[in-house]
Amino acid sequence: MSAGTRSPDAGTSGRRSGARPTRSWQLTWLIARREIRLRAKARVFVITSVILLLAVALAVALPAILSGKNKADRIGVVGGTTTTITSLITEAGRASGGQAVAVSEPSLASAEAALRSGDLSAVLVPNQEIVVNQVPLGGVTGPVATLQQLAGLAKLIQTVPGAAQAVAHGVALPVRGLEAPKASLSSRLTGLFTVIIVWILISTYGSQIALGIGEEKSSRVVEVLLSSVRPFQLLIGKVLGIGLLAIGQAAAMVVVFVIAGFASGSSLVHGATLGVVIAGGVFIVLGYAFYCTAFAAAGSLVSRQSDVNSTILPVQLPLILAYALSYTVIYANGANTFYHVLGFLPPTAPIAMTVLYAAGDVPVWQVAVAAALTAAGTVWMARIAVRIYANSILKTGPRISFRQAIKESRNAALSRAPASAFRPG
Amino acid sequence: MTSELEIDGLRRRYGTVTALDGLTFSVPAGQVFGFLGPNGAGKTTTMRAIFGVTGLDAGEIRWRGRPVDEAARRTFGYMPEERGLYPAMPLFDQVEYFARLHGMDGAAAEKAAWHWIDRLGLSGRGRTRIDALSHGNQQRAQLAVALVHDPELLVLDEPFSGLDPGGIDDMSSILAERAAAGVTVLFSSHQLDLVEDICEAVAIIYRGRLVGSGLVADLRRGDRPRLAVRVAGDRTGAWSAGLSPSTGAVESVKADGTVEISLTTSADSQEILDLARAAGPVEHFAYEDRSLSEVFRAATGASVGQAEAEHAAASRTAGATTGAGL
Repeated sequence: MSAGTRSPDAGTSGRRSGARPTRSWQLTWLIARREIRLRAKARVFVITSVILLLAVALAVALPAILSGKNKADRIGVVGGTTTTITSLITEAGRASGGQAVAVSEPSLASAEAALRSGDLSAVLVPNQEIVVNQVPLGGVTGPVATLQQLAGLAKLIQTVPGAAQAVAHGVALPVRGLEAPKASLSSRLTGLFTVIIVWILISTYGSQIALGIGEEKSSRVVEVLLSSVRPFQLLIGKVLGIGLLAIGQAAAMVVVFVIAGFASGSSLVHGATLGVVIAGGVFIVLGYAFYCTAFAAAGSLVSRQSDVNSTILPVQLPLILAYALSYTVIYANGANTFYHVLGFLPPTAPIAMTVLYAAGDVPVWQVAVAAALTAAGTVWMARIAVRIYANSILKTGPRISFRQAIKESRNAALSRAPASAFRPG
Repeated sequence: MTSELEIDGLRRRYGTVTALDGLTFSVPAGQVFGFLGPNGAGKTTTMRAIFGVTGLDAGEIRWRGRPVDEAARRTFGYMPEERGLYPAMPLFDQVEYFARLHGMDGAAAEKAAWHWIDRLGLSGRGRTRIDALSHGNQQRAQLAVALVHDPELLVLDEPFSGLDPGGIDDMSSILAERAAAGVTVLFSSHQLDLVEDICEAVAIIYRGRLVGSGLVADLRRGDRPRLAVRVAGDRTGAWSAGLSPSTGAVESVKADGTVEISLTTSADSQEILDLARAAGPVEHFAYEDRSLSEVFRAATGASVGQAEAEHAAASRTAGATTGAGL
């Protein structure tokens, strides 16, 4: 059998009109283009894209809008405001993580009316009481709770000379940390958000690859395809086409993230947080590259499309593990050694390293090392996956197990000079 | 006539099953060439090997004197035994896609796709999804995919299976037309007698080996011509007992008393006529061709049906997923 070398003067073949020698990348691109056209036109793709982009926009803008629009708590003061009382109220707002301003009210009756209308959050009658519209179950919270303490304290210290003046300068003591601060909450949340996207994109598009290959195998169109293209080209064209769609969708999400973030004045688009998004983008590409061929190999093992879900589960397991554990890192102070190891293993790095970086647990150079390891793992995975795919894609009958497929593909590679169709590259 | 496609010493084993056992034959240009044999004889494996879809343990396939390579394959058209197209893809898109995969540029692919859709009687169906076409039209779509890039070698695996008589006529006229246009046409069939009028030359295989090849007319005549003689009133062919071995031997006696005699090379047919006439009035006296399934039986000692039953039993025991013939 011919070894399939493409001599430039391919003899008398190609003498007819239209049939001319075609370069390998052109064939791969034709296959990729079919995938893009077919899927981009599908209604389900358009709908999921819109939903994902809206989700990103809301996730970024909503917290900013809610906190930004939430004006300072207006605290009514009956009986005239003094410097001490104003600073007490301001301090109460600051200490509770918000803002509070003092508003002078002529009488308790007018203050209560303003309270009912929602114009005021609370009313302070110095040295007597604090009035709110309704006391929540479990007591008051936020600035009002702090004010409750401070006003009580103020009542007590009024008897101490000079104390009122001291209160006017602020009552809080400085706080000194022994270690440098870890990544901010917004960075962690962005990290969590990014790994959700990584996870959704890889598993969604990965199963699309497996289903598409299952369709080609079960409809038997693959034999017609393989009569003119090699398995390697067919597989790469498919994952390239679907991958471009996935990356297009990811890029659109990053654009929406940045635009919505700046437009709403969200704290998420500043400094380290943007770095997390960039790291996430890199790992989306690497993670997809690593997993796409594995999903393809899984899809080639089945004869019926309905069996695809059971063969892709083992492929998804490392992702599920890294994703599930990521919550422990996001909400904990520092990841354990196990999760650090996951950050460097190619199957789990796309999620684990993004999380570690977002949580401020690793320096940038470690992110780069993990990315390089994942890229190397991608090559290794592609070689195995293409062999499994080429060996299984024409086998009908019961589902082939992974172990059997790997064993057979190895035997096929060793015992027989492969037909050109089975040779990657 | 020169050989365009040469199949030379192909060997292929799947586990314990030998699919091809040194298969050798060649296919000339401009003929409809039948590749015949019972199910499991190795036809599909051979055709897949032509396209590099299955590997070989030994042997070589040459096209116009050179080993088949990818560039050559791109000028071949293939209709596999297991028909298959993208179910959800419209007919035109599908045919055009395969034209482009065979190296045609956009404009040429589009033109050729419409041409073959019209030529195969699918006009007006170009925008219909494949799975919305009738079974017969799906077969035509499959043929359009095989023909759209104007292949120089057309390989069709069991093109007549599942066709009604009208479909068989359509298919055979398209094959004849392509052959007349200079295309090398190779098709397979396990229904030997169905296709004996459709092809000019055949290769017959059994257990991965060639058992006969050549022009259909030559094979059916054989090296011992067959004479059929019927004497009125003699239902058992008793008159033929007087036949001398140097003239010929009785092959069989039909229910109506027709005696089928295979003649020796030195036989004098007039001697046989005299012998018959002596027994009574001769109603029938003619040379008869054998059917291709008889040729098969004469060469292998087994009927096509027996051979297929044997293969089916062997596949069950082996339980092998050979990828072919399952």
